[in-house]
Formats: sequence, structure tokens, C-alpha cells
Amino acid sequence: MNGSTIIFYMLAVFTLATAFFAVVTRHIFRAAIFLLFSLIGIAGLYFWMQYEFIAAVQIVVYVGGITVLIIFSIFLTQQAGELLPTQNARGRLFAALAAFCGFALTLLQVYQYKFTNTNEPTVEPNVVNIGNQMLGTEEGGYALPFEVVSVLLLAALIGCIVIAMRPKATEKNIDLGTNNIEY
Amino acid sequence: MFEVYDLSFMWSLSNITQTINSWLNQTFSPTWALIFEMVIVGICVISLFAILGLVLVLMERKVSAWMQIRLGPNRVGPKGMLQSFADTLKLLVKEGLTPNGADKFLFNLAPFIAMIVAMLLMAPIAFARDFKMWDMNIGVLYVTAVSSISVISILMAGWASNNKYSLMGAMRSGAQIVSYELSAGLAILSIVVLTGSLNLNDIIQSQANGWWIFKGHIPVLISFVIFIIAVTAETNRAPFDLAEAESELTAGFHTEYSGMKFALFFLAEYVNVFIVCAIGATLFLGGWMPFHIGNWQGFNHIMDYIPSSIWFFGKTFFLIFLIMWFRWTFPRLRIDQLLNLEWKYLLPISMFNIILVTAMAILGWHF
Amino acid sequence: MFIVKYIKEVWSAIKSLLIGMRRTGYYFTHHKEIITQQYPDNRDTLNLPERFKGEVVMPHDEKNEHRCTGCTACELACPNGTIKVITKFDISPEGKKKKAIDKLVYHLELCTMCNLCVIACPSDAIVMAQTFEHSVFDRSKLTKILNNPGSKIMDGVE
Repeated sequence: MNGSTIIFYMLAVFTLATAFFAVVTRHIFRAAIFLLFSLIGIAGLYFWMQYEFIAAVQIVVYVGGITVLIIFSIFLTQQAGELLPTQNARGRLFAALAAFCGFALTLLQVYQYKFTNTNEPTVEPNVVNIGNQMLGTEEGGYALPFEVVSVLLLAALIGCIVIAMRPKATEKNIDLGTNNIEY
Repeated sequence: MFEVYDLSFMWSLSNITQTINSWLNQTFSPTWALIFEMVIVGICVISLFAILGLVLVLMERKVSAWMQIRLGPNRVGPKGMLQSFADTLKLLVKEGLTPNGADKFLFNLAPFIAMIVAMLLMAPIAFARDFKMWDMNIGVLYVTAVSSISVISILMAGWASNNKYSLMGAMRSGAQIVSYELSAGLAILSIVVLTGSLNLNDIIQSQANGWWIFKGHIPVLISFVIFIIAVTAETNRAPFDLAEAESELTAGFHTEYSGMKFALFFLAEYVNVFIVCAIGATLFLGGWMPFHIGNWQGFNHIMDYIPSSIWFFGKTFFLIFLIMWFRWTFPRLRIDQLLNLEWKYLLPISMFNIILVTAMAILGWHF
Repeated sequence: MFIVKYIKEVWSAIKSLLIGMRRTGYYFTHHKEIITQQYPDNRDTLNLPERFKGEVVMPHDEKNEHRCTGCTACELACPNGTIKVITKFDISPEGKKKKAIDKLVYHLELCTMCNLCVIACPSDAIVMAQTFEHSVFDRSKLTKILNNPGSKIMDGVE
């Protein structure tokens, strides 16, 4: 066992342990923090594999974006500081069943997939290559999915603005409002 | 071009690191050599942190005093030089309280997260020629990614303190960091567009014939200004210090912290300032690259004699001074002004600016 | 036009920020402007500003005469009862009774140095002195009588 393997197992144990705590803890905020650590552990695994770009993107998207959003929504929820209620036996059974099914499905996929060694030369993951791959229109390029996702995100953004926009209050409503305050 | 640089190799730190590396690899097995190197780097980083904390706190107090027509610390040691040592000693022996209603685990964890993030950010920075911890090909992206974790420590501290001031400070700080990250990222991106690389080393090398702030005309100047404003906001310093606004929230997210735990937050703030300034110096002011003017061979030779580490630290401390100058000149923004500044001014301007920079890079209008 | 206004706004904002920075930059480089007094060290050469308010005193001239008529305007003006004017009636040589002060009692421990009494005084009898080392071990020493013993009102002050 060399140093690299030891680091892999340390990262793996860290990721799994924090993921476990994220599920079992009864403080919702702690669950979010453990989830965050688990995601950082996965980023660490990418770093271990020397996929720095993916690791950095993992941190930007999941840690800097999604977890901060989760934490914000926890902050804005009432009684977020209370302990979560424990599940009853039936709920636990179904949760365990669902988790097991998901795990089994993933494992099945991993074992059935034939990992073949390629003889193609490795592509250095620098910005130029990543950019060409991401926005390439030829074979293996991701221009179309990239654009589709962009449009989806744009739609989501516009939707957010529409929801957040307050409908313009009519003058009658405003008058009523001030009257209420005065009396 | 390269023989010009060889002049400054006589002070080069890379010789020292190479000697240590080869000696370790001869004496021990590669794994142990790596572990020893990690330990050495760790000790170096921690001592750099300690020195930075002491120097920057003193610098801030002196700068603030002189800008406000005061004297500043002048009692402990010669000209008050040892003031921050005395403060550190005080913080070390002070009791670290944990409030009763606090979430003790997260409360005690938060300052360490802040510190660890600051340490991680040190990794890709080139302190001198060939003197850095990790030469990764995505240095800039790494810095923006890891610095986004620092908001977590603030949110964690604010929540775990079980105090409304702390929570409000944390919320404000979260909203602020998340929004200013965008314009900071776009400002950084303009240099990436010009260089065509995320590697900090490539970015420094691309400035051998002139720093980007001079080569890149007005668009780079605009992105430099935006970068400085955005990082001032990201490090929660005045005029963007809403997260710890003394007059409104006592001390914001670190209201409940005392002793060494408070000191860690304090230190992390200063180290973050140093790091963002180092990044700014690397991207816009050429990192350790000496200052060269066109074809003035004599002048350029003299500049090459100054060691690269002095160039790097000089530029970084210049930017730190600039940020301190902001802090002691401008009054604090209100939350709505803060968000207006980002979403109505900085972000549209930097988006427009990046189009300009891209056009400039494609047409080759820079030198 | 919208865009012109926007650019003008940004430009004026930057300009005003630079003006502020120029001011602090001037102070940063000009250490002669520093106004801090290193008090116990420079006790002999201490240079207090003109309007520094230390305590209320009643100036007397060389003939031991003051300008106080005993009108109690200062007592009325004082927001926290610092001044108490005790009056008496002097008999003038013509046999007329005339109001004058017996004692003007001043409680330094209550005084907030607000200067209202000095403003209220119609005959400029009291002023603010620049003394400020007031600490004593006995509280009763802070109750002062401002007029000197045996002092008289100056001629011509009504």
C-alpha cells in the first residue's frame, strides 16, 4: 500500500462518513454542512485523480452554489433550529429500501459496464482543449447540450424574476394601506 | 529574452527549494521525501500566516491612524512595532467562550474552516520565480472555487452562535459574497481571455513584455477596478463590512467568539486580503515579473537585479495598501446600495467589458 | 438618454470617491497634520484648542471684583442642576437695598460641560476654563464656590 492508496482511502472514508452523518443527524443545518463536506470529499477525489478542472467545477457548483442555496433556504425557514422529528418504522423501512435499490442499481451498472483500455492519446485538460470540447460542433462536441442548458437556465432565471416581481399595487390599495396605518 | 532574466537568479529561491528536494530524495524514499516536503511547506505556510497577521494588523492600524490624523500604536516596542505581538499574546491567554445555546460542534468548527480555506488558497500562488507550492493548470479557477467555500465558515459561525446579530451578519455576508463573486470572476476572466490559460504561471509569463494593466488598455483597467471593488466586498472589508457592521450588529458573525477562535477569524480575514491582493498582483501587475519599459535595456537590466520575491511582495502590499485606503476613506454602504452597486453597475459593466476584452484579444489590439 | 445618464453617474461616483481618497492620502503623507496630544508626556507643553471646555469659573479682576449680578439665569439654564445661586441683599451707601450673590455654588460632579450657563449669562460673569485634571479623592471637593471670599460686583455691571 503506497501513499496514494492511503490518501484515496482517507478521502473515501471522509466522503462516506460525512454522507452518513448528513443522513442521520437530526439538526437540519448540520445535515447541510455534512453534505457540504461530503461534496468536498468528492472534489478531493477528483483532485486525487488529477482532474483539477472537474474538481474545481465541483467546488464552484456544488459547494459555492448549491450548498449555499440550501443553507440560505434553511435560514429562511421557520423553526429551522429545532430537532427534526424521527421517522416511524414504516418510513424507515421504505427509506432503507429506496436507498438499497438505488445502491444496487448503481452497483449493477458499474459491474456490467465493460471498462476497456483505450489506446487514444490522453488529452491534456487545459483551457483550450476544454473550450474546444465544450463548444465544438463536430463529433464529440457539446455545443448543442451546452446551448440547451443555457436556454433552460435562462428560462429559470426569467421565471424567478417573474415570481419575485411584485404586481404593481393599484392606487386604491395604496390608499387603503395608508388609512389602515393612520387609524 | 531569457538571458536577461538569468541576472536575478543569484537571489533565486528556486535554487534553495531544488537543493532541499534533491537532498530529501537522495536520503529517503520518494514517499517519505514527499511527506517531509509537505511538512516543510506546512510549517512555511503557518509561519507566513503568523508573520502576515502580525504585519498586516500593525500596518492597518498605522495606515488608519495616519489617514485619520492620529498617531496609531506607538507605545509597545520601538515606534509601536511590537503592538501586534502584545495583542496576540492577549488573545492567546484569553478564554475561548462557547455560549450555552450554541451548536457547539459547528461553533468550534467554523474558525478552523475559515483558516483551512485561507491555507488552501495559498497553494497556486507564485511567491517568486519558480517558487510555488502547486503548479496546477487551473490555478485561477481553483482560487475562485476555493474562495467560495469561505462563505460557508461565515454562515456556519453565524448560525451556530444562536444569536440574531450573528445570523443577520452571516446572511448579509452570504448575499454579499455570492453576488460579488460574479463580477470578480468576470474581471478575472478578462485576463484569462487575453492569456488563453488558467495557469497562473502562464499568466505571469505572458506579462514578460509588460504587465496586463499597461498592455491591455482601458478594458483591462476597468476590469482591474472592478476586481479591486469586488474583492474588497468579498473579504468583507469596509466599505462593504455589513457582515460585521459594528454600529448595527455589534460584530456580526463573530459576535460570540473570543480568544483564539476570534483570532482565527481575524487572521483569516487578513490572510484572505493578502491572497486576493496576491491574485490581483499576479493577474494585472505581473506577479514577480520586474517592471520593464520597452527597449530601455539599461533600465530593464537594473530592474532585473531586484529579486523576484521583492517584486511580488511589493505589488501585493501596494494592493493591500490600496484596499486599506478604501477602508479608511469610505463610509459603509447600506444593504440595498450594496446590492445595487453589484447588480446594476459592476455586473453589467463587467459583462460589457468582457466583450470588449474578447474583441481585443481576437483582433490582437494589445501589445 | 438612459445610457448617457448611467455613464455620467458612474463617472461622477468615481470622481467623488477619488476626491475622498485624495483627502485621506494627503493626511497619510502629511504627518504634521496629526492632532493627537500625547497627554501625560507633553503635560508642560500641552496645547489645548481654544474652545475646550474644562470647568465653569468666575473670573475676578485684581480688585477682587466679579461681574455676577445674581440674576440666576445660569441656574435656570442648567439642565441638571449643577449651579445654585445663593443671593443676599447688600445695602448701598445711599441706603438702597441691592441684590447680590452670597455664594455661587457649582457642582462639578454634575456638570456635563454643555456651556449653556455661559451662553445664558447676561453679564458674562462666568466662562469655561481649560483646566481638566479634576480627579480628587473626596467627592465633597468637587462642590465649588465660584466667587472668591469677600469679592464684590464690579462697578457698572447691572
